Amino acid sequence: MKFRLAAAATVAVMVGALVTGCSGSGASDDKTFQFWSFTGINQKSDVAKYTEAHPDITVKLTEVGSTQETAQALTAALAGGKVPDLVLIQGDDLPNFVANPDNFVDLSTLGADDIADDYLPWVWDQAVAQNDAVIGVPTDVGGMSMAYRADLFEAAGLPSEPDEVAALWPTWDDFIAVGQQYVAATGKPFLDNAGTSVFFQTVNQVSEKYYSSDGELVYDTNPQVKEAFDISIKAIEAGISANVPAFSTGWSTGKTNGAFAAMAAPSWMLKNIKTDAPDTSGQWRVTTVPGVAGNWGGSYLAIPKRAANPEAAWAYIKEMQSPEAQLKNFTDTGALPTTVSAYESDAIAAYTDPFFGDSKIGVVLGKSVQEFKPFFNGPATATIGSALINTVTDVEAGNTPPDKAWDVAMKAVKDALGG
Amino acid sequence: MASLIAPPSLLPKQSPPGIGTRIRNTLPERFAPYVYIAPFFLIFAVFGLIPLLFTFVVSLFDWNPIGQQTFIGFDNFTRLAADPRFWNAMLNTFAIFIISTVPQLLIALGLAHLLNHVRLRFATGFRMAMLVPYITSVAATTIVFAQLFDRDYGLFNYLIGFFGGDHIDFINDKVGSWFLVALMVVWRWTGYTTLLYLAALQAIPRDVYEAAAVDGAGGWKQFVFITIPSLRPIIIFTIVTSTIGGLQVFTEPLLVSPATGLTCGAARQCQTLTLFLYEQGFGQFEFGYGSAIGVALFVIVVLVALLNFFLSTRTRGGR
Repeated sequence: MKFRLAAAATVAVMVGALVTGCSGSGASDDKTFQFWSFTGINQKSDVAKYTEAHPDITVKLTEVGSTQETAQALTAALAGGKVPDLVLIQGDDLPNFVANPDNFVDLSTLGADDIADDYLPWVWDQAVAQNDAVIGVPTDVGGMSMAYRADLFEAAGLPSEPDEVAALWPTWDDFIAVGQQYVAATGKPFLDNAGTSVFFQTVNQVSEKYYSSDGELVYDTNPQVKEAFDISIKAIEAGISANVPAFSTGWSTGKTNGAFAAMAAPSWMLKNIKTDAPDTSGQWRVTTVPGVAGNWGGSYLAIPKRAANPEAAWAYIKEMQSPEAQLKNFTDTGALPTTVSAYESDAIAAYTDPFFGDSKIGVVLGKSVQEFKPFFNGPATATIGSALINTVTDVEAGNTPPDKAWDVAMKAVKDALGG
Repeated sequence: MASLIAPPSLLPKQSPPGIGTRIRNTLPERFAPYVYIAPFFLIFAVFGLIPLLFTFVVSLFDWNPIGQQTFIGFDNFTRLAADPRFWNAMLNTFAIFIISTVPQLLIALGLAHLLNHVRLRFATGFRMAMLVPYITSVAATTIVFAQLFDRDYGLFNYLIGFFGGDHIDFINDKVGSWFLVALMVVWRWTGYTTLLYLAALQAIPRDVYEAAAVDGAGGWKQFVFITIPSLRPIIIFTIVTSTIGGLQVFTEPLLVSPATGLTCGAARQCQTLTLFLYEQGFGQFEFGYGSAIGVALFVIVVLVALLNFFLSTRTRGGR
């Protein structure tokens, strides 16, 4: 009997240790807060700026991993672990969190309504839940551009100046025709791939995407989705794609060696081109995508409900995402602001980069953001999107016949959504 | 045990039960062994048994880790049975398992035989080298293999192109991607299996081979009639372990095609059951559905292990 009591006590102590080990938070003074970010977005410099201005504040920054890994870690933490006070969430991962707003501090209780008018309404509204809780404050948007190689365009007998090139492709059909001209002249593929450079663009130039404005799933009946999908299949059939998926090994190499001459690039990917292909400095140009409008990526700062120090996190958001701070951040790093005033100032329009032959990057990106028409994104937006783009990639790889692509895609989405 | 060894007359006389001073110590002494082994079972319960049982519970729910949890009975399992992605993952898992395990065991057997050669110089060096792939990080191996077999710039396709052939798109071809994943499994596990076989080979007495040689048996006959039968227990062991490992291949298909996320190819060419589980559980956060896949995988492993057990006892019984 004694033994049983002792064993029970041991178990109780062990379980107790485990439980407190999970939920016990570290320093809980109001001068310190925990901040989770993803890699590659350089929040370190923001944090350094902030702590320089406020030497009494300590920000414990953790770069968790990729955007998806950060969202996974956040989900696990929200489900029953130690949560940070402040977390950066990428736009694609956001709808899932917005659909479960009880996990986060409603920022309007901290004063978010006072600053809401500073931000572009469609960007701000992405982080507002059905119960009107404000989950996050937008830090940047992924305005779209088409990056292309001026040297390769010239060699193919095409115009190479950004304005002339933009005039070549007011529509996606024109874009495909230009690609065919390029292929005919050089015998080489024109575009990196049809998935990210065509489908991801066309499907965001719609007024309704996979959900209707009142949140009903319409991905299978919405003609705009079908049309966006068909354009990407048409691009594949036209033979202009190099079939090099974004972020694959060949993609990094291809930017240097001319395996393709054009690729759709959101604002943050322009940096990616510079690091992947430093030898091509001065050969790339940036111009508008067919249809001008676009958005890919962008991030939000949010405060989990169980945060130990939400006030300190909110003070950070308010200061570092103010219109002035975002504009300063844009000139320093190229992260496209989410504030209304930034697009009224000259700072964005004036932005150029010698790597891209001094193309008017700011004008191109700014226009794509201002022309962008918002639509409703639901929890399944990312799932549907990856099922569709995977089908496009599989058509490109020659495994799915183009005429069956739409049916295959619809079946893939239905399987992913559970029948 | 003692009674089997010592004649009964030599055993110390025991007091009749219930009388004497020893009885007070009996209870703690009888429980002491359980206390000694308790740490393992406590830790196993916390990190093994409870999660296992909890998985069964979660599989009966529509379980959103940060939202609602609704009891839905066996709906996850009926959905799973009708989900082509599940059967695709099952096919991939078994295909990769077969085309990795069979060559792996055969190559290991041959290598072990070579390494056991009496006149082999630097034997220890060769034997140590066998373990290098095994101690290399799987992630590093996968990234290197993915680059070697890249469609456009991989070394392997460069050689094919050099001799005038067409580049092979391994990752976008179903059989090609199976081959690539299986190759990495073979690369990683062959050396380890070789050492297991080698240890067993060295336990075979030399005089058996000498006797066979005197009777006129050549190298091949010795291999077939002495080596293989002597290795039968260890062969069965390696088949069982590589079955369990083969049904749980995860890191290789996860990392071989990072551009397509958690599906190992745009059309799930090489997505294994464990990767499908991970995609649903931690990519889509459908914990209920992911747990149902886990339960299904558990049942499959048990069935295959039973089959293994049945076959191995049958072959032993046949002798």
